[in-house]
Amino acid sequence: MATSLLTRVKARVDLHTSSRARGLIQGRGRSLFKGSGEDFDDLKYYQPGDKISDIDWKATARSGEPLIRQFNEERVRHLSIVADTSSAMAATAADGTSKRDAAVMAAGLVCFLAQKNGDLVGMVGGGEDRPIQLPSRSSDGHLELLLRSMQQATTTSAASTDSAWLLERAFRVTSRATLMTIITDEAHPTVEDFSLLRRLTTRHDVMVVRIADADPLLREDPGHDVVDVDAPREVASLARASKRVARDVEAYRRARRDGISQMLDRLHLTHVLTQGESTVVEDMVQMLREREYRHGSG
Amino acid sequence: MVMTFWWVTALLLLAAIAVWAITFWNRRAMRKSPVLVANSQYMDRLPSFVRAQRAAKALRIGQVIIAVLGVLGASVLSGRIASERIETPEFSSRDIVLCLDVSGSMYEYDTEILSTFADMVDTFEGERVALSIFNSTSRTSFPLTNDYELIERELREGAEAIDFDEFGYRLGTRDYSDEKVQQYVSFVDGTRGIPDEASIVPDGLASCGMLFDQAEEDRSRSIIFATDNEVNGEPIFSLQEATEGIAARDIDLYTFYPGAYECSASCFDELEEATGTVDGGLYQSSDPEAIPSIINEIQKTQAEVLGATPTVIRTDHPGPMFVVVFLSLVGILVLGWRAR
Repeated sequence: MATSLLTRVKARVDLHTSSRARGLIQGRGRSLFKGSGEDFDDLKYYQPGDKISDIDWKATARSGEPLIRQFNEERVRHLSIVADTSSAMAATAADGTSKRDAAVMAAGLVCFLAQKNGDLVGMVGGGEDRPIQLPSRSSDGHLELLLRSMQQATTTSAASTDSAWLLERAFRVTSRATLMTIITDEAHPTVEDFSLLRRLTTRHDVMVVRIADADPLLREDPGHDVVDVDAPREVASLARASKRVARDVEAYRRARRDGISQMLDRLHLTHVLTQGESTVVEDMVQMLREREYRHGSG
Repeated sequence: MVMTFWWVTALLLLAAIAVWAITFWNRRAMRKSPVLVANSQYMDRLPSFVRAQRAAKALRIGQVIIAVLGVLGASVLSGRIASERIETPEFSSRDIVLCLDVSGSMYEYDTEILSTFADMVDTFEGERVALSIFNSTSRTSFPLTNDYELIERELREGAEAIDFDEFGYRLGTRDYSDEKVQQYVSFVDGTRGIPDEASIVPDGLASCGMLFDQAEEDRSRSIIFATDNEVNGEPIFSLQEATEGIAARDIDLYTFYPGAYECSASCFDELEEATGTVDGGLYQSSDPEAIPSIINEIQKTQAEVLGATPTVIRTDHPGPMFVVVFLSLVGILVLGWRAR
């Protein structure tokens, strides 16, 4: 590849973010990732996963709500990426682009922000048969390697998604508290992963980026066949054209999507569902801004 | 049933198989690159999806069956299925007189000749047949005619009636129902005009020769003459004279001789000598079962004599295959419309 992935991500970030958003990243970039630090910055509501030792008991007593002290971080921060690199991520996203490109773009944005601040980024990914684990480093070469191994691991011949294994592994491998970004698709993490996720939030600050799947009936493009990466069965055009099937499929997907979103909300996780590579940068910036707002003035 | 252009059928079928094979081997290449999606396994649990898939499968199987039927029907249709019939056109100008000696010694052979001819009536086309029987006198059962219904009826009735062992009946060794006796009697009625005489063969033959009409027309004339030549009485003609009269009118004589009954070899010698002077042939067999093959032989000889080349007449039968092709075309249109 001629250009490095990181460079391309930068170009995309420049292309896709408005000047306001860019200012958010560049000017006030540090404030995007709030965490614990030396300089007291603000008070915020206690959320599950925050350190109990950070609770400002006086402020809590005053307000009647548990409040914690927040500090401007001076130290080098630890970021981690939990990447779903299963075969499902090699499929098509809702906007017609590759889910892999969107995932790499999402990870690239994290790396980009980390690079600006000199943060350390590690990665957990792969599957049970071929796990991927990259230590926390901050060099450009390391970030490039991280993105590239994520890109290369995500093939149609990879194992199918096992989000429980991935979350378990992320918990075991990442012992240090990190700002963790889970990058997966609209069907994951499943509602069965609730307790695993909750355990992750006790140690990490977790964000979830979900990439929406393409319509499995591909109604807007009947000229092309549509195949599931994990279950290669032919979908007859009769089934694809049927309104009833479309309605049922849509209902099922909506229920699944909403179920996962509700679960993430219950865990007070920052999460976003994006349509694909074309929207992932904007959606993530939006997510980070909302998160800052919540953390800042919430 | 034959195919006139069987090679067209073969070519079309080969082409169809070739097209199928090419598309089969290139089915991946011909398909537009499929779009990969993920997390769609749940669709197999959606009843509406399963139903639609099943319907699509049934539809596809139907399409394949109809297409195969259509291709098969079309290729068979273009091969022109036809039925073949062998015809000898010259035979249609034949006149045949069956000239049977109905003396008691001949009944088995007469029965066989009559029923063989009755079976052959179906294949006749234009031939005219007459039946004349004689004993001491001669009776024309029916004159030369091409009314095949009548011919067949008369021949069958005759064959049944003549199957009667008169000597056995008179001696009391055979018994027949009154009805049967009546049938026999009415059939041979008129053949015993002269008392105490029997089998006046030369006169019988001469009167058979008189049955041919349309003398001015160029027709093939033949007599199938069955007799044991055991003359018992005073004939008006001698056998020689009778055959000469026949020869003069250009009639072929096919004689069937079943073997001596009471007569010595002289009867056969006389018959052989007499019939040798006319065109035709002499067949000899004491086995009534041999009659059909002898008549076949006569037919063949006659065909050779007439120089009749048997021609094959083909009749196309496009009907059933046309219906198959038409229906499959309709089916393809309907299913194609449905799958649109």
